[in-house]
Amino acid sequence: MLIEEIILFGAISGGVYALLALGFTLIYGISGITNLAHGSFYMLGAYMFHILGFRLLGSDTPVSTSFVVLILAALIVGIIGSVAYRLAIHPVLGDEVAVMVVTVCLALIFQQLVLLIVGLTFRDPTPSVKWPPGSFLTTSTNILGVNLENSKILAFAVSLGLFGCLLVFISKTKIGKAMKAVSQDREIAMLMGINTKRLYMLTMALSASLAAIAGILITTSTTYSALAPMWRYPLALSFSIVILGGLGSIKGSLIGGFIIGYAEQTVANTVPQGGAIVGVVPLIVMVLVLLLKPKGLFGKRIEMEE
Amino acid sequence: MVISYVRRAYSSFAAHVFDIPPRLMAFMFFLILLFLPLAGISSSKMSVLIYANIFAIFAVSWDLLVGRTGQISLGHALLFGIGGYSSALLFKYYGLPTWITIPAAMLFSILVSLLIGFPCLRVKGPYLALVTMAVPLIIQLTFKWGPLYSIFGGDTGIRDLPRFFDLILIREQRISVYYLTLLLLFISSVIIYKIANSKTGIVFISILDDEVASKACGINITKYKLMSFVISGLFASLAGCIHAHVLEGVDPSMFSLTISFFAVIMTFLGGIGTIYGPIVGSYIYSVLDSFVLPELPKLLERFNVDITSAFESAKLLIFTLIVLILVIKWPRGVARFTTDKLKDLEEARDLDERGPRIWKTYKKKKK
Repeated sequence: MLIEEIILFGAISGGVYALLALGFTLIYGISGITNLAHGSFYMLGAYMFHILGFRLLGSDTPVSTSFVVLILAALIVGIIGSVAYRLAIHPVLGDEVAVMVVTVCLALIFQQLVLLIVGLTFRDPTPSVKWPPGSFLTTSTNILGVNLENSKILAFAVSLGLFGCLLVFISKTKIGKAMKAVSQDREIAMLMGINTKRLYMLTMALSASLAAIAGILITTSTTYSALAPMWRYPLALSFSIVILGGLGSIKGSLIGGFIIGYAEQTVANTVPQGGAIVGVVPLIVMVLVLLLKPKGLFGKRIEMEE
Repeated sequence: MVISYVRRAYSSFAAHVFDIPPRLMAFMFFLILLFLPLAGISSSKMSVLIYANIFAIFAVSWDLLVGRTGQISLGHALLFGIGGYSSALLFKYYGLPTWITIPAAMLFSILVSLLIGFPCLRVKGPYLALVTMAVPLIIQLTFKWGPLYSIFGGDTGIRDLPRFFDLILIREQRISVYYLTLLLLFISSVIIYKIANSKTGIVFISILDDEVASKACGINITKYKLMSFVISGLFASLAGCIHAHVLEGVDPSMFSLTISFFAVIMTFLGGIGTIYGPIVGSYIYSVLDSFVLPELPKLLERFNVDITSAFESAKLLIFTLIVLILVIKWPRGVARFTTDKLKDLEEARDLDERGPRIWKTYKKKKK
């Protein structure tokens, strides 16, 4: 019973974590930005889902409308991400300390804006983020003797599907090839006529919307409510996964996501009062990886800084 | 023609009037701080200045590590918390007085920074920032963990610590604490400034500029990185100890990202890489935080905007916006801008006859 639970829940959280980490690794691999505001896009996604789905459309919408709302929320967060990149990160590009400080600032600004706007207008500190009640997503299915909510299965399926789509997008389309080219050599890519600024904005939008989708999928299947400071844990998660898999490696983020997901479930189910300490797991994994194998599982050579 | 004449007159005037050597300026700054309590500031406002002093020590130590050695640490709260907690634990289990626990906690923090610095400083750039961010979070969550409640006190932490030294001469306790923190700030900032401008400090800057080249020059960079980490950790833990004993308690929020971020805000306000900047930044932050911004709701009331209920969140929002704009538009900070201007003025005095040209060169530099 316990083992089946660990296997199933580990796989589900692993899949969504991989999606979350994919955005982080994309923006790092392509532009070298360590985006500490990645978690706040996750948070914004959940809030957008709440605002669009519950406040504007009402709570009794059909499921198909909810899917449209999900896509719309991801798009809006993507636009927010690229605007934030253009206004704040682009002017300091190339200076690592400044980029990190700016992105932490952005995360705090998003948090406070959400607290101010949502707190003052809705008077509800923890707005609910759920699939519409009564749909097939709120019931549960029995798999291997474990009761799984359908929303969790949906989260797993959607995140793996999106992951596959992105792999195809990067290897087949022109924009994806441009992304690859820029990540290999920025200057030569610029000489070949790739507009890096626009590409970075696009990557930022992509990464932000991936984080937003992951945020919606996780909140609709686990906590069912959004909270303004909830960006911290996904941020820790995404950078530990990315470091485990190798910064900038897409394959690494998939496998790292599953490793972290399983490690988390194992600790939560076996250690006494494990639920309280589960947040330590990704961080400890990250520190261990950095100390033992700083390149990560699939990372390329850490380049000497100029 | 008239405008150029006015400019010339201004630059000549400024060159002669504002020409104060930096050492004298620092001395004057401390002199102002020394007489601040006599200005009749209320007790609650006094504690704001005490915290400004404590966080100035903390931010100065961060500046040595990041601004002078280039080792990006976003988890400096680690040693802040370690200092506070080890002092508190020494009191809790052995009942030692403050003047033993604080030096012991500082010694312990040397050990901790050696233990953590040696493996962590092998990685660099974003990796180092992420690992330093992670370590205090791990410790924070571990201290909150249920089974360790009896040792670390969980969320509430350890309460009822002895107060920071009481000076017998001055009756009001807040003022005596203020003077003590000011003294400690003075001593530690002078020590850090001396270290940063010694031969060791030059090696630190060479590591900041080019790690490979300094390695090629035969510098043992691991040793110097570790040295910078230990020195800055020592003063961060001192700040943590003072904070714990002024607040008469420690709790896991000492390890939070917000505390680490205080150092960043203050250093960027004052100017990164100048040692004296964070002190200025810390005071600017505290004055803005508790003297200027509380006037904001009153101001907005006139325009019929009521934000008193959400004021705390609006305050942090304003601060992060200020830091964001500073980092993007004015990355050199307030204190360094002032000293730069003074240097320009010094040049202006030498070339006083040519007057307007100086204005032009100054404008060019600003670009």
